[in-house]
Amino acid sequence: MLYTKILIVDDEPIMRESLAGWLERDGHYIDTSASGEDALKKLKETRYDILLVDIKMEGISGLDVLKRVKESDPDVAVVMITAYGSIATAIEAMKNGAYDYLLKPFDPDELGIIIEKILKDQAQLRENIYLKTQFKDRTRFESMIGQSRPMQEIFDLIMDVSPRNSTVLITGETGTGKELAAKAIHSNSARCEGPFVVVNCGAIPEHLMESELFGHQKGAFTDAKETKKGRLEISHGGTLFLDEIGEISMRMQIDLLRVLEDRVFYRVGGTQPLKSDFRVIAATNRNLEDAVKEGIFREDLYYRLNVISFEIPPLRERKEDIPLLAEHFLRRFTQETNKPIDRISRDAMDELMLYEWPGNVRELENAIERAVVVSKSRYIQPEDLPIFRPDCRISPLDNSLQEIEKAHIIRILEENAWNISKSAKILGIDRSTLYNKIKHYRLSKPA
Amino acid sequence: MPEYDKRGKPEKPLPKQVISRPAAGLQTIIVSPVDNNDSDIYVSIGREIHRLFGFHIEIRSLLQDVNFAFDPNRNQYYSTAILEKLAGTLPSQAVKVIAITNVDLFIPILTHVYGEAQLAGKACIVSTFRLKEGLSPVNIPEKFEKRLVKEALHELGHTFNLRHCRDKSCIMHYCRSIWDVDRKSDQLCRYCKILLEDELKNLER
Repeated sequence: MLYTKILIVDDEPIMRESLAGWLERDGHYIDTSASGEDALKKLKETRYDILLVDIKMEGISGLDVLKRVKESDPDVAVVMITAYGSIATAIEAMKNGAYDYLLKPFDPDELGIIIEKILKDQAQLRENIYLKTQFKDRTRFESMIGQSRPMQEIFDLIMDVSPRNSTVLITGETGTGKELAAKAIHSNSARCEGPFVVVNCGAIPEHLMESELFGHQKGAFTDAKETKKGRLEISHGGTLFLDEIGEISMRMQIDLLRVLEDRVFYRVGGTQPLKSDFRVIAATNRNLEDAVKEGIFREDLYYRLNVISFEIPPLRERKEDIPLLAEHFLRRFTQETNKPIDRISRDAMDELMLYEWPGNVRELENAIERAVVVSKSRYIQPEDLPIFRPDCRISPLDNSLQEIEKAHIIRILEENAWNISKSAKILGIDRSTLYNKIKHYRLSKPA
Repeated sequence: MPEYDKRGKPEKPLPKQVISRPAAGLQTIIVSPVDNNDSDIYVSIGREIHRLFGFHIEIRSLLQDVNFAFDPNRNQYYSTAILEKLAGTLPSQAVKVIAITNVDLFIPILTHVYGEAQLAGKACIVSTFRLKEGLSPVNIPEKFEKRLVKEALHELGHTFNLRHCRDKSCIMHYCRSIWDVDRKSDQLCRYCKILLEDELKNLER
């Protein structure tokens, strides 16, 4: 991962700032909160890897912050900071899921060891999750589907770029199918007989990355019992897919740049220069231009990768693809589970259409899989779907006529429990027009 | 002014207090002794800084003492306060300053620090207080000087926006013990070298 996000929560500014300054030198991204209230607010907006929380604070205490964090995201490591007199509370915090506690002032080494251990554990966890999703994706999610205009444009682009040998950068939110697009490019290229090698830059711990990419010579390090080929070598004649390239460390950015420039590299512990012929496709859900501006992604590497680039649109911007995708997943999961489910009911489909799908196609796929498992009838019903409605902001309106129309639509929808067919009938418009109005006014069914 | 060859060795003998070369315009890094009179050691530090970072070096005391940063409760000196004052006294032609002190330094959350730096900033400081740990009278001068030089280069590296490096031999590696300081080299690894070059280019812009 690119850097570790740490939130320091302490009501003493001097403690907060001195710790932040110290940890910044390790290359972490540091944020601070002066109270438990502010910390909880920040946690709603940003996902942190580590929290360093002072136990004694006015208002929401450190212990309360810990409990709330553990309820919403149990994988976040919370380290409690305590003064000598409150060790008992620190022990209570450990029982409530704190990773560890530090007695202030603490030895710099103590802090370093704890953070190192957390990062190691989290890297291991990420790798496990990645391996599980890789397996899942390989077995089920192998086709790209879409009849919407944006997807048709993506298909045309894929056909255009496939025969070339240029580096491609695919951007798009999580779950939009960036890896599928990369596979499609590979399958339609002259390299289709060669391997398609995936490197998930965000999932492989940094200390393993060098050996994963470049391979290693026997004896290069303690665990190097045999000489091993790296993924660069394995991808010879094929395509190297660098997923989550935005998460790669500064060190690996330097190494990758060198390889992309001359295609020559060395195994770890090796002295023989190796050459490999591969095409690079990289993907990220990050805005790399912003990362370059922030100084966390090398500009030269960005330009090296950004030869041809395209963005896969999020599912909420191509809602017309939802019925097609949903039916596709329904067919697949009913076959897999052998359940006699014929179709998705109109009300359930309305639910699917109204939802914003922050997790995109992958979230839709998971929603249908769950619905198939829990459904007890021949039709998927709204209550079979695990989706929920996030709060939706309403955009400022330009004029009063629009305001009246919006208010009227909201009233009719609410009176009819957001039943789209009924509401559309009462409003005297067809369902697709109502969907467009809902989208235009950014309306959302209350939870 | 004495010229240096490519390995950073002076071609002519060095004057006692000023070592410099016209390598990077008029910009200078100041080595600022606080309370130590051993001028030879500053010449060594200056030479090594010049070798690694390539700037003019000037040995010049910017702070007479650091008593203003003394905390009677901890019997230690608050390094962040020293850095702020140090950065405020920096002459315009100087890009960075490194202060060398004998006193024991701390930041409020930690028991002690060997040194502190303003990340991508102007000032850094190194304390000799804990650097003599485990040295026998026979090897004190030589080993102590090596430790001090390494710590000085490390802290100065931070002012050039270099973060801690996981390469154990790199000067930017964060050492858990003084023995690790002895083990690491006085060189930047190839990654940190590139990152330093990037930062130097940014400074030129």
